[in-house]
Amino acid sequence: MAERTMPVVETAGLCKTFRDFWRRPRVEAVKDLSLDIRPGEVFGLLGPNGSGKTTTIKMLLGLLYPTRGRISVFGKPPTDVSVKARIGFLPEESYLYRFLVAHETLDYYGRLFQLPHRARRDRAERLLDMVGLRHEAKRRVGEYSKGMARRIGLAQALINDPEFLILDEPTSGLDPIGARQIKDVIRDLGRKGKTILLSSHILADVEDVCDRVTILYGGQQRAAGDIHDLLRRTDATQIMAPTLSEETIAQVSDLIQRLEKKELLGVSNPRIKLEDFFLQIVEEAHAANIQTSGARVGGDVPEFLQKSTETTAQRVVESLVSAASRRTEVPAGSPPQAAARSDEPARGVIDDLMTHGPVDDEETSSPSPTTTASVVSSGKARDADSKVIDELLGRSGADTPQERENDA
Amino acid sequence: MKIALVFLGLIGMVILGLPFSISADSSLSDAVQSFMSYGLNATGVLLGILTVFLSRSVADELVQQQIFLVMTKPVARWQYILGKWLGITTLNFAFLACSGLTIYGMVHYIRATHRPETGDRWEMERRMEEEQLAGEVLVARHAIKTNLPDFLKPAQYEYERNREDGRYDDALDFDEAGEIARLSLQHEMRWRVVGPQELRVFEFENVLCDRSPDRRIQVRYKTNISRGAPPDEVYRCIWRVGDASKGTPVYQVNGRHVIGRHHTVTIPADAVAADHTLTVYFRNENPFPDEPQFQNIIEFRKSDEVAVLFVVGTFEWNLVRLSILMMCKLMFLGAVGILMVTVFSFPVACLASFTVYTLAGTRRFIVEALDFSSDDYATMFTSLKEFFLQLLMHLYNVLHWIIPDFGRFNAIDEFVGGYNVSLTWVLNGLLWLVIVKTVFVLGLAILLFHRREVAEVSF
Repeated sequence: MAERTMPVVETAGLCKTFRDFWRRPRVEAVKDLSLDIRPGEVFGLLGPNGSGKTTTIKMLLGLLYPTRGRISVFGKPPTDVSVKARIGFLPEESYLYRFLVAHETLDYYGRLFQLPHRARRDRAERLLDMVGLRHEAKRRVGEYSKGMARRIGLAQALINDPEFLILDEPTSGLDPIGARQIKDVIRDLGRKGKTILLSSHILADVEDVCDRVTILYGGQQRAAGDIHDLLRRTDATQIMAPTLSEETIAQVSDLIQRLEKKELLGVSNPRIKLEDFFLQIVEEAHAANIQTSGARVGGDVPEFLQKSTETTAQRVVESLVSAASRRTEVPAGSPPQAAARSDEPARGVIDDLMTHGPVDDEETSSPSPTTTASVVSSGKARDADSKVIDELLGRSGADTPQERENDA
Repeated sequence: MKIALVFLGLIGMVILGLPFSISADSSLSDAVQSFMSYGLNATGVLLGILTVFLSRSVADELVQQQIFLVMTKPVARWQYILGKWLGITTLNFAFLACSGLTIYGMVHYIRATHRPETGDRWEMERRMEEEQLAGEVLVARHAIKTNLPDFLKPAQYEYERNREDGRYDDALDFDEAGEIARLSLQHEMRWRVVGPQELRVFEFENVLCDRSPDRRIQVRYKTNISRGAPPDEVYRCIWRVGDASKGTPVYQVNGRHVIGRHHTVTIPADAVAADHTLTVYFRNENPFPDEPQFQNIIEFRKSDEVAVLFVVGTFEWNLVRLSILMMCKLMFLGAVGILMVTVFSFPVACLASFTVYTLAGTRRFIVEALDFSSDDYATMFTSLKEFFLQLLMHLYNVLHWIIPDFGRFNAIDEFVGGYNVSLTWVLNGLLWLVIVKTVFVLGLAILLFHRREVAEVSF
């Protein structure tokens, strides 16, 4: 699917040198970077602090001009206005107008895309539902906590139903529930055919959602490729089974010795992820709160969760995508051919939705984080994750088993 | 935004507070004129400063990085710059409209509440003051200055006569043109002074007013007594307006006027001849013919030329035209503010904008102070000092072209004096301040902003 169209982002020999007041080179932030992001993939830009991730993103957005090298986004220079109509951007920090309330913020950015009033209102409502800020929509953004600012930041990035979403550290400052929700949104958007560039130094986030990654260090590309291939261990096999007795384990060890002439490397009970454990605790607290109304401890959590359960991220994303079919709302400024091209992925998603119902993510964008053996374990863990999330979000069971099957 | 409110509060305080601080013993016209003058000048200055501060929003967005989000939306750089300028201009427009309306309202408030403390003559005094206010302040009058007679011809004639008489025969390095100019000036000086019982004629052309007898025209003048002032500081004169040879009625007004102040004589407009000329006779009525120490000699100075005034428009429209001229300046200043913040960070940009503001306001004085006579490139490379001097001069010439002369478009004094702020003036302001200079400055701002990396990191 990736090869059939032109890359969303293509850079060649990209360099960025920051200079001082006297134009003397001071810092070489990006060195000879060649990226190639294909339509529909979730691409991770990994690296420690100061490795050039944000600089790269700023060059892709035309906020910085490269010192050397070439960039094209949708085949055009990044400063092209028609390109920007197709991009959604969540910056590293939420640079929002502190004096606007959430609703006004979304309306303002919607206006910049020349969305009609109704579309702006509808989208703002749904996005606020998605990020769980509906009940905080009348508060000034300046009063928001960092996590809330990230959420409204994500909402504004989606207001134009972008084909290409650039997320710079999307989960920084978010609590685990928020981080999980955002990851779910990214995964869902990825499944719907959106191209996503994700920059992060939180490795678990990247591992959870990305198809391909590039690892930067000191502005240079150190490794790149399919996350599946990069992380697969070819020198070991992991087998997952229900808890076994000492005896059975000894027998299995013997069997391996006999058949493969190899030693068993280790046997242990698998651990669930802290993230899953945390969400499980929160869910229990949530449930307990309903039974013992008036409990003071943990009273905040259910209230917050209640907000995010109003509609699911899934529903919002789908409605956003389906809104793309009514593309009379294409920004008037963009040239006709750009608008026509921008329909393509969306149309694909619409077709999918119409013919197959919920999108099947089996073989395309669902990430497989570890080796074949751990796919089983990770699959189970993810199964547990989705269960918790689904319950928390009050998601109907209809599509969940199917998704779980797909994941497994 | 807070700063805008602070400035609005300041403007409000000035406009609303002034009428109450005007002393009650001044005449109604004086009260209204000083209120309008202070109010309008304060509004102009405060809005000018506010405009410079408002451009801060661009600088703030660059520093606080909100511009990152705006610039990643489908908004072109020129749209951003133009949008910011429009925002500033709109706010200025709203503020100017508010203060204009308030000034208008307060003028009527002063008119209704001002009470001259003159005891039993109260009612008559008041009616006179009302008439004066309506006829000389709250109007838009067009002024035509008197046609000066040709002083050169008699000077040349006198020169020829002197030469024939051999008066210049022993003069060394004789400057003929200088001598004629000196004689011409002498003639003018003689014409400007009117001795006791002497008559002077002032001619006016192009008095394109409505000539119906129920309309009024005014003759405005200021005289000085150059010698022998009467003991009561009041001189007596007779004005005769009209030209019987052209078939107009001739109106006579006897004047008893205080020395050294402007006076206005009002007569029906049918004194103007059909060919739109007006003839005015002035006679110095010396009340003390037998007392040589009071042989008062009246002088019409060049700076206070006699003028004929007639109403061409209403006070309200005059206020609108004045506001447009003030708005033109603010539009230019807004553009300058935007240009500066696209180049410099805020404090520097603010300083630079204020410099431009000050230069524009005081350009007339600067031009007078600097000598631009040596703009000859040939001397530029003769010495280092000359080179830098010339360089400075050329630099200033460039600035001189970019920075407009705000004084040329300052119509507040005319407006307060009840003079018409002409449409030509307003159109000139729109053309030079807005269409030429503002567009140029905005274009430059767009160009520079286009080249700028908004996420620029400098060390």
